[in-house]
Amino acid sequence: MSVAWIGSQPVPLTDAVRNAAKLLASSRCPVFTLDADVHGTRSAIALAERLGGAYDHAAGDVLAKEVALFTDHGGMFTTPGEARRRSSLIVIVGEIPAAHHELLQAWADSQPDLGDRHKRSLFHIGGIETTEAGRLARKLKAIPLRGEGLSLPAALGVLRAALQGQRIAASLSNIERFKKALATAQFPVFVFSGTSGDTAGLVMLQGLIADLNKTGRASSVFLPADDDAWGTALTSLWMTGFPPRTGFSNSLPSYDPGRWDIQRMIRDKEADLHVWMSTRGGETPPLGGKIPLISLSKTNAPTSGAKVTISVGKAGIDHDGVSYSSRTGTFRAVQAAQPSQLPSVSSIIGQLAEALPGKKALPC
Amino acid sequence: MLIRLTGGEVVDPVNGATAKRDVWIRDGLLVDAPKGATADETHDVSGCIVMAGAIDIHSHIGGGNVNTARLLLPEHHRAHLPRPANTPLSNAGWSTFQTGTLYAQMGFTTVVEPAMAPYAALHTHLELADIPIIDKATLAILGNDDFTLSLLRDSKSKAMLDDYVAWIIGSSRALGVKVINAGAAAAFKENVRSFSLDDIVPEYGVSSRKIVKSLQASVTRLGVPHPLHVHANNLGIAGSADTAAATIAATEGVPLHLAHLQFYGYGTEGKRKFSSEAARLAEAVNANPDVTIDIGQVMFGQTVTISSDVMRQFSAIGNASPKKTVILDGDGNGGGGIVPYRYKQDYYGSLQWAVGLELFLLITDPWRVYFTTDHPNGAPFTAYPELFELLMSSNARDAKSTELNATALGLTTLASVRREYTLEEIAIMTRAAPAKLLGLKDRGHLGAGAIADVAVYRKGRDIAKMFREAALVFKNGDLVVKNGKVTHYRWGKTLRLNPPPDKAMVKRMQAYHEERYGLSLDWFTFPDSAIQRPDPFAEVIS
Ligand SMILES: [Zn+2]
Repeated sequence: MSVAWIGSQPVPLTDAVRNAAKLLASSRCPVFTLDADVHGTRSAIALAERLGGAYDHAAGDVLAKEVALFTDHGGMFTTPGEARRRSSLIVIVGEIPAAHHELLQAWADSQPDLGDRHKRSLFHIGGIETTEAGRLARKLKAIPLRGEGLSLPAALGVLRAALQGQRIAASLSNIERFKKALATAQFPVFVFSGTSGDTAGLVMLQGLIADLNKTGRASSVFLPADDDAWGTALTSLWMTGFPPRTGFSNSLPSYDPGRWDIQRMIRDKEADLHVWMSTRGGETPPLGGKIPLISLSKTNAPTSGAKVTISVGKAGIDHDGVSYSSRTGTFRAVQAAQPSQLPSVSSIIGQLAEALPGKKALPC
Repeated sequence: MLIRLTGGEVVDPVNGATAKRDVWIRDGLLVDAPKGATADETHDVSGCIVMAGAIDIHSHIGGGNVNTARLLLPEHHRAHLPRPANTPLSNAGWSTFQTGTLYAQMGFTTVVEPAMAPYAALHTHLELADIPIIDKATLAILGNDDFTLSLLRDSKSKAMLDDYVAWIIGSSRALGVKVINAGAAAAFKENVRSFSLDDIVPEYGVSSRKIVKSLQASVTRLGVPHPLHVHANNLGIAGSADTAAATIAATEGVPLHLAHLQFYGYGTEGKRKFSSEAARLAEAVNANPDVTIDIGQVMFGQTVTISSDVMRQFSAIGNASPKKTVILDGDGNGGGGIVPYRYKQDYYGSLQWAVGLELFLLITDPWRVYFTTDHPNGAPFTAYPELFELLMSSNARDAKSTELNATALGLTTLASVRREYTLEEIAIMTRAAPAKLLGLKDRGHLGAGAIADVAVYRKGRDIAKMFREAALVFKNGDLVVKNGKVTHYRWGKTLRLNPPPDKAMVKRMQAYHEERYGLSLDWFTFPDSAIQRPDPFAEVIS
């Protein structure tokens, strides 16, 4: 089985690495689309720094929304473990990605052993009902908080106003039931994700939580739209001081979600080489770019349109690694579930760095 | 490889009086002058002071909360990049890379991250492993977690508590244990808003005092070299000096380290009911040999406060500048708050500044007072050079005082205290004493057999400049800094104790995590290989 291609031709890995390194060396402004564990991310950011490139995560759009909640506002948060043990009232906010449904189900199926220890109840504040969110809510027996034609931020605004005792025209279904549950819950928790709504909606949610904390306690659990993307954001923060979207000019990092939006850079031809990663596999690079592409992808065929394709494994499946896990709200050492010969992103990037002129090893 | 530093004035109080002598390094270690040997490399350091590499016992350099501060404040970093050097945040040490670089350039070679949440230990260690040049260590936080509190509530045996503490130290790769506002984070989850030494944690019926005393005893029984590191209750509030005095009085012959005492040096006198109690606290420290303290000096300008004292950080939200904060109710010992803050030269800022200096100057034994700004809580560690100057020059203090709030300074003893730290006292406070406090026999002095962590400073009138830009720095014998700039990058290690886990405790932990969190224990632990660097840790033999 081939693991490396130049164009559509299978080649030995060393040839593909040499070829890709040539492309990197002659690039004026390479951009990196990341999709790897902590160590793959560390090596890719170190390479981007050396080459004066920019990087973002493959799930960069929703990640940027999640990052903006913090850079614009902040908020009050708790961990999934604390929510499970302490919260008798869980409010699911908008659309939560399928990857987290097992966690929500585990909460629905268990009872708090700390705090008020009341039987746990779940609500769902949904905005306009989508089939996906509605199906989840039914499965979890979550009570809907919904208003006719209200978007999620609007519904949150109505809820916030109602809890402040303001008179408002709009109302939400089951609001009285919710108020009753809230009155006896010592540690209500709102669960949200970047898919729940836009940044303004997430900020509105944090405003509501801040209100509740004036006299009682409440918090939120943030379940990232993509755990790996959040792990990449955290890694980027300690390595450069910044979340994605970040780029390097004069070897200093700078954070600018507009300037370093790499899809825009590709479209506007500011970038001249695209290093595209997909360790989860089964994906194709976004259309619209006409610049040369190096693909580091979990694949058994060359990536269409790529100058060079190198097949890589995924941490936790093909090899050991470290990934962000929203089950614990922090990093976790993951072991290879099905160990394979596929190289890790960090090992391939290490080889690329050594094949560059100057032959300096990366610091990561 | 044999290296000789010649012509320098060696300040090494552990090994004798300050004198001109050569310092010899062979293969990363300090050695006595070898007879008849010629050095492979000789550095003429005439006109310079030679000291051991400095050790910082309390600086928040890595982990979940530090990283959240970066996330909250990208402008914090961006804003200081183009600013002229020497402004406090021009080099705040924001990324892991800058942290190692900036510490090394000041001659610091070992830094302790004092607030590692055990469940997020892997995150902390990933960050520390990316800090270049220097060695690191961590203190694991205990005292707000359900497991500890349940053991105390149920009056379980001391042996069981010891097994748990040892398991936490081992599994989180820590060098010691810290307790932060004992019980308050647990109480805050139950909507308790203020918490003192004799207040009781709801659910558990255990007082803060009981938690501190139990952990202090356990750490001592286990033979952990570093005494329990205590962040006391009531940080930052007027009248907190009473809490600090009560904590100091409670040692009962067992060693205890009290962190950032400046933040507890406040009384309730004056028109604003916020005054200095530094003289009283200094006296209490001087009279109790069980106690060591660090200061947490305030310096002026923008910073960000990062603390696992979630109750206190929540209460500070209103003072946030800029107006954005993160409050995290973590699992047990995790969590905390990120509150950006600007120390102004107003009444409050001036008083805090003076309280820190009073404590530095009125506590007489340099072996028991430690040099910290509680980075970044009182000031970023990049403010250290200016702080050295304030300690070593009463004229520098007078000059700065003229810019500050006279009413506040009038409520302190600062103007009347003329003490000036000597270089020997600086060497004790920042080298010899930290090594002793942490149980690191291999550093903090320049005697034969110690690792060759050496800082060379060019003597000059400008004390701050001297300490900001070390002339030469060696880490384990590698020359890493020349004329205040890093010339060579290398990777240090994270120092840990590594006590063997008790088998019954591991079983207990497995059952506890499966039952309470619905997750197997391996979600909360990690192998050394997860760091993906060769030998990221080094054992400290106690
Ligand atoms: Zn601290």
